[in-house]
Amino acid sequence: MKVRLLGYGAALALGAVLGSPAFAFEGTSVSAPSCDYGGTIKSIAATDELTVTVTMCKPDPAFSAKIIFPVFGIQPSEHIAALGPEGKLLDDPIGTGPFKLDAWNRGDSIVMSRNDNYWGKEPAYDKLVFRWNASGAGRLNELRAGTVDEITNLSPDDFDAVENDPSLQFLPVASPNSFYLGMNNTYKPFDDVRVRQAIGMGIDRQRIIDYYYPEGSEVASHFTPCSLENGCAGDDWYAFDPKKAKELLAEAGYPDGFKTKIFYRDVFRSYLPEPGSVAVEIQTQLKQNLGIDAEVVPMESGEFIDAAAQGRLDGFHLLGWGADYPHVTNFLDYHFSSNTKNFGKPQPAIYEPLAKAATIADPAKAEPLYAEANDEIKKLVPTVPIAHGASAYAAQANLTGGEVPAFGAIRFEDVNPGKDTFVFMQNAEPISLYCPDESDGESLAACTPITETLLRYDPKTKKIGPNLATSCDANEDSTVWTCHLREGVKFTDGSAFDANDVVASWGAGIDAANPAHVGNTGAFTYYAYLFGSLMNAK
Amino acid sequence: MTKMKTAVAAAEANITAETLMGPAVPMWKRTWQRLLRKRSGQVGLFIIGFMVVIALAAPILAPYDPDQVLIGVEHVKRREAPCIHLLGCEASKPQHIMGTDENVRDVYSRILYGARISLMIGIVTVSVSLIFGVLIGAVAGFFGGWTDTILMRFMDVILGFPSLLLAIAIVAVLGPGIQNALLAVSIVSLPAYARVTRASVLSVKTLDFVAASQLLGASRWRILFRRVLPNALTPIVVLATLGIATSILDAAGLSFLGLGAQPPMAEWGTMLGSAKDQIFSAPHLVFFPGIAIMLTVLGFNLLGDGLRDALDTRLN
Repeated sequence: MKVRLLGYGAALALGAVLGSPAFAFEGTSVSAPSCDYGGTIKSIAATDELTVTVTMCKPDPAFSAKIIFPVFGIQPSEHIAALGPEGKLLDDPIGTGPFKLDAWNRGDSIVMSRNDNYWGKEPAYDKLVFRWNASGAGRLNELRAGTVDEITNLSPDDFDAVENDPSLQFLPVASPNSFYLGMNNTYKPFDDVRVRQAIGMGIDRQRIIDYYYPEGSEVASHFTPCSLENGCAGDDWYAFDPKKAKELLAEAGYPDGFKTKIFYRDVFRSYLPEPGSVAVEIQTQLKQNLGIDAEVVPMESGEFIDAAAQGRLDGFHLLGWGADYPHVTNFLDYHFSSNTKNFGKPQPAIYEPLAKAATIADPAKAEPLYAEANDEIKKLVPTVPIAHGASAYAAQANLTGGEVPAFGAIRFEDVNPGKDTFVFMQNAEPISLYCPDESDGESLAACTPITETLLRYDPKTKKIGPNLATSCDANEDSTVWTCHLREGVKFTDGSAFDANDVVASWGAGIDAANPAHVGNTGAFTYYAYLFGSLMNAK
Repeated sequence: MTKMKTAVAAAEANITAETLMGPAVPMWKRTWQRLLRKRSGQVGLFIIGFMVVIALAAPILAPYDPDQVLIGVEHVKRREAPCIHLLGCEASKPQHIMGTDENVRDVYSRILYGARISLMIGIVTVSVSLIFGVLIGAVAGFFGGWTDTILMRFMDVILGFPSLLLAIAIVAVLGPGIQNALLAVSIVSLPAYARVTRASVLSVKTLDFVAASQLLGASRWRILFRRVLPNALTPIVVLATLGIATSILDAAGLSFLGLGAQPPMAEWGTMLGSAKDQIFSAPHLVFFPGIAIMLTVLGFNLLGDGLRDALDTRLN
């Protein structure tokens, strides 16, 4: 007893010393021995209690856009050190967000209750319940029955029904995406730029939107949606001109068209809601407008993605892209960099300005370079951008604040369901609640109300705004990023939030040698994808 | 040697059915007459006759090309409900008696052309599995011993899988497409023909006229193909007729799953598959191909029933 009391006293004393401002803050850090590992992050360091400095291996102006992703959510360093190495973080998240986890009833629901320590605006309701149903019709049925308050991914066929139902509200999703008709310039006849240009102006894209896309979708004026900064720099895409297209095709030696194939996968995406129908529509237009005979070839999804990425598809392919983070590099650099094979041989005229632009943090300064790249895409037509598809959520009519931002989940603390409990129904059960090692939207959505990121997309300003950090600033060439953390934030376990928590949370993800780098599968897909590679990997 | 063969043939000619049973109405003519007397035979024949006429006359009957996308050609929407002028649809609207589909194509024309594909599927798959199944069953039943054991155990293995699952597996390996779907359906229906043929051959080969041919020195192959098989065919004919129905269903099932006929081919199963999500918003897209499949399958089933009755001597 004595010993315990003594120990308690010692702990109290130590706590008082540690907690006093006079005690020097001991910042932790993670780093790679050199930049040879292939990733873009050199080190992450807690330079003082409320400052995190990230040193990059090469310029990354999109760093602040990437870290809004829920995989970069922050948990207490002590919690990660205690549970991380044993892989026990999967269903035990501790965060700073508006809600905390109460219970995960596997196969049925996740129940969360309001976090009274939350630094932001207090939510208007006490309980947040996540439920799931894979069927679009099933989700809508639950919403109609009143057993849930908001549902994700409304089927395009139900758009009209929901819009005309006075007891429901229709919530369009602003998520930027792009559907394109890909070609490969290493195969005949697509090796001739005139053929590609002919296809670029020989397809009536407005007709495809009018007939095959839900309301709110747009014809793509550029490869990148205009909602992203610099996405629409440069000239608009060609107007539909079948006559000129025919002339170009004749000039290239194909006055009567040619035979080819249209490859696609029969998978629903917001950028392509009805792949089969759109494939047939494009087949029809190619025949009518240009005399091209194309056979429609559906492929298995994984095989199709592989074949497209490796440049093995010798005809057209129907593919698209949904934004991961709000930066134009996410669209352009992914598709047109010097090592992308989707469209055959990469074009220096496109990737050179892109590479230059990717070192510039200030969007205004990067604009002329993106305009140049977009104009070259229009001139060289590696692919024909066709549509930016719309998708939607639905909710009870009396609910407020359920709007869907372009990036990330809905802002759960802003929702007012008009009662104590808000039931949110999505497509699937989360895989785990340790989001650094998850990549599916359902897991990430369920992490959002619990663990928070340093920055966050603000749907009001349509820009990245503060969250756990008040700001993240880059140096001149975007090689050093400094994040200034919010003061006085507490985790739901009562511990205070500081820079070491950021280092511990991110370190567990990016540093393969970190003892807490266990996660769920250990892949930490988004860390590896967004920052090139995991550091210290064996 | 050739003299010997002619002698066998001549001797055999004397012990055909006619010498044993006296002059008779030719069997097929008799069957046909009986079939026409049965209600199920009549209805079955009528439905199939109707389908065959539709299939043959599709280009004349169909108002549109089945693959023609009518956007820009007419003022119609996607998945528009049927518009029949006689039933009060406004005369200003173009007539589509079964509506339009997801690519604004005329469903009626597609259904008509679909009859060609479905009948072709039924006949081709049954022919293929009939030829190989009968051959396997006949050889197994007639020669017996190891040949029988090996061939029939192999058939049992195929029969051990649920037929549609096996067909899906085969198509998954070969890749989706109508030819591969035909092949898959043929393979999964092989064992039924082999088994029935074997059973039939086993009973026929013990009959006296077979023994007579043996005594006269006919070769085993000759006995099998000239004596045993023709007399063992009756149950196989019934099975084949019913088999067309199952084949059409299986192939439509594969197409429904996206493994058989590929778009834009006007195949009933594919049409059903691409419209399944619109069952509430555009029921006509599921209704008409569904009815077409149902009618065709019913036709072959009724005909099969009728044929069985007509061929069964005990019932007459």
